[in-house]
Amino acid sequence: MRKRRMALLSGLLFACLLCASPTLAASTLILADDTPPTTMDPAADNSDSTCSVLVNVFDGLLAREGKEGKIVPGLAEKYEHPDALTWKFTLRQGVQFHNGTPLTSADVKFSFERLADPKLSKWLETGQAIASIETPDERTIIFKTKNPTPWFISNVHQLFIVSKKDVESRDAGDVGVKPMGTGPYKFVEWIKGSHLKFTANEAYWGGAPKIKQVELKIITEPATRFAALASGSVDLVSGLPLEMFEQIQQNPKLEILSRPSRRVIFLALGNKAGTPLADVRVRRAIYLAINEDEIIQKVMQGKASPAAQLADSASTGFNPTLKRLPFDPEKSKALLKEAGYEKGFEITLAGPNDRYVNDAKIAEAAVQYLNKVGIKAKLDVKPKAVFFPEVSSGDKFDFYLLSWLDGAYDSARGISTNLATYNKEKGWGGWNGARFSDPEIDALMDQAAVMVNLAERDKLLQKAHVVIQEKVPLIPLHCGIDLYGLVKDRGVKFTPRPERWLVYKEIEKN
Amino acid sequence: MLGVTFICFVIFRFTGDPSVIIAGQDATPAQVEEVRQAYGLDKPFYIQYVLWLSHAARGDFGRSFISRVPALGLILERLPATVELATTAVLLALSLGVFLGVVVSIRPRRWLSRLIMMSSLAGISTPTFLIGTLLIMVFAVELGILPPFGRGETVLLFHYWPTGFLTLSGLTHLVLPVLTLVGYQLAVLLRLTRAGMREVLGEEYIKTAWAKGLSRKRVVFKHALRNVLIPVVTMSGLMLGEILVFSIVTETIYQWPGMGNLLLTSIYESDQPVIVAYIMLASFIILTINVGVDILYALLNPKIRYD
Repeated sequence: MRKRRMALLSGLLFACLLCASPTLAASTLILADDTPPTTMDPAADNSDSTCSVLVNVFDGLLAREGKEGKIVPGLAEKYEHPDALTWKFTLRQGVQFHNGTPLTSADVKFSFERLADPKLSKWLETGQAIASIETPDERTIIFKTKNPTPWFISNVHQLFIVSKKDVESRDAGDVGVKPMGTGPYKFVEWIKGSHLKFTANEAYWGGAPKIKQVELKIITEPATRFAALASGSVDLVSGLPLEMFEQIQQNPKLEILSRPSRRVIFLALGNKAGTPLADVRVRRAIYLAINEDEIIQKVMQGKASPAAQLADSASTGFNPTLKRLPFDPEKSKALLKEAGYEKGFEITLAGPNDRYVNDAKIAEAAVQYLNKVGIKAKLDVKPKAVFFPEVSSGDKFDFYLLSWLDGAYDSARGISTNLATYNKEKGWGGWNGARFSDPEIDALMDQAAVMVNLAERDKLLQKAHVVIQEKVPLIPLHCGIDLYGLVKDRGVKFTPRPERWLVYKEIEKN
Repeated sequence: MLGVTFICFVIFRFTGDPSVIIAGQDATPAQVEEVRQAYGLDKPFYIQYVLWLSHAARGDFGRSFISRVPALGLILERLPATVELATTAVLLALSLGVFLGVVVSIRPRRWLSRLIMMSSLAGISTPTFLIGTLLIMVFAVELGILPPFGRGETVLLFHYWPTGFLTLSGLTHLVLPVLTLVGYQLAVLLRLTRAGMREVLGEEYIKTAWAKGLSRKRVVFKHALRNVLIPVVTMSGLMLGEILVFSIVTETIYQWPGMGNLLLTSIYESDQPVIVAYIMLASFIILTINVGVDILYALLNPKIRYD
């Protein structure tokens, strides 16, 4: 009896061993990411976690490639911009959808029209910026925008083209779970909360991808993501938890890749008349009181780089000469005294506690620095689902922590949405939660709204960032770092992208 | 259940306006307004409630704000994974718990019994997330004999129900999450059985049974245990309901594609239609289980009759 039990037990153990160490072939890639996509319908979500999946199944008219996100041709082989309102694209010849139907300009028109539908689209700003779409022939599409839209071209890489016939023949629920595009990979299955599977599109217009099978596991729990990597169940993990950095570094089987994140973390300030913040000296005093170097060292464990402006280095308008104001508590106190607040004042710093890396801890640190210069600061952190609507309502906060990342690589939108005076007609100030208002910044945004020439636009926005530093509507803190983990002996070659997308055709595995 | 719906609605009324999140980061204030109208969120509270109720009565719980597919479908899709995990855990806890409880109550002073009682105390007092993380670290990362997360390969039954019971990979993926869930349940059921048994074993009719010269097996299982089982069954029914509906921690740690996992994500994203549909389904499941347990009583104790 006992013998038989032992045999059974060891048999079971052996079976476990067999299945726990899967032999991963070079043509199969297993990835893990931290945030699930929300839908498979390209119009219905604009988050990077969704785009990161869809970019493999669909193509945009243009694409962004590699480390710096350079614009390259996609479904369109070329484009023209004859006047401020017109964008003309010419489609590549012989492109087919996964179901074999050829791509035509009608599909492109249909895909962009979907973006303007408020019931369907999370790209309303883009969709509704377009006045008309003409398709003179099968391969030509002419967009006319309502106003000059300088960021139009830098945004089309994430506006994916669906098949008109296919989408119209299925109901919305089905379109939302089963994507069908022209991209390098065909969709196989999506088990929500678990994984997605893809197989190579051998007929891809850019050549068949080398890795034939891809499986993307979604693991939201950081400790489990680490376990997945450490146990070798996956080849590559995107979104390594910061807290486990040391542990991973010490593990000889694992390798860490990193890239500065495009996301800028900042503290936003209001300037409503009658509040202490209306005085620019007070706002600057708050800026000077915060020891950002220490936040990076202690809170971010060195995994962040200081930010001086509301733009990352890849965006139009980034000013390379701008530096953060140095930490100077003495000067801060002097400024407060000058403004008549020697004894300080009461203020509340609001922020999310489940959105950005260590968001609540950063806010906590900031509050303590302010207390040191005599400002009686309090903390009010809450879940993002509650916090974000309160920010956008505009009447809850004077001082809050937020972050910005512009998918279109243009820093003007960040300024007009976060810092320009709230204005429904112009579409400004949607996230200006403290309702900061300054005529000089608004004037610069008016100019930027019509400036399409990239070089001039860059110059204008660089100037805007200098003005913003003088007026202190916000205190830029830092850009985080995106961390990826690799299992060393799998032969995976991967270059992190600026927006954290996992583009399978760019990954190699030998 | 009508009461449940009303409470849900009142709560969401005060947790902020979802149209900002639906419209997305780049939407202008005017576009947010447009979304608010498109989803009917600009209407007064009671109209929204009545509209929702009339749709729900027809089985339509609305579409998820986030993934824009029917909310109920989104949840039902996750049901099989949770049901398999929960039933496995509760059945294991029930059979082991009752068995060990009987063992312990018959020989309360043996060292084995003391050991079992001590570990049951540990089972009750260790939090699930700690057990889960420890199990992963030991069995998946250090020893590498069990998979750390996920559900493994599944086979589709009756075109609807994907089961992990029929594949080796599915079964091995089940081991760690089940162990994590079982810890607490097992300890509770064990202690409940033991307490009941010790009380019943001192009763007159058991003494009579012994005096009649019945075998030990018959006295313990037929006469004593049967009377102890009623509270045990009630408890496991409650537990089943609880695990089915709220095994959020375990499902999150193991990235188990079940309903608890979905609920947590939906709460983070403030996806109200999904949360409301979930709570409705949860109250339905718990009600059904309670009715089921009541019926089981009658089988266990023929004295109980429902007229």
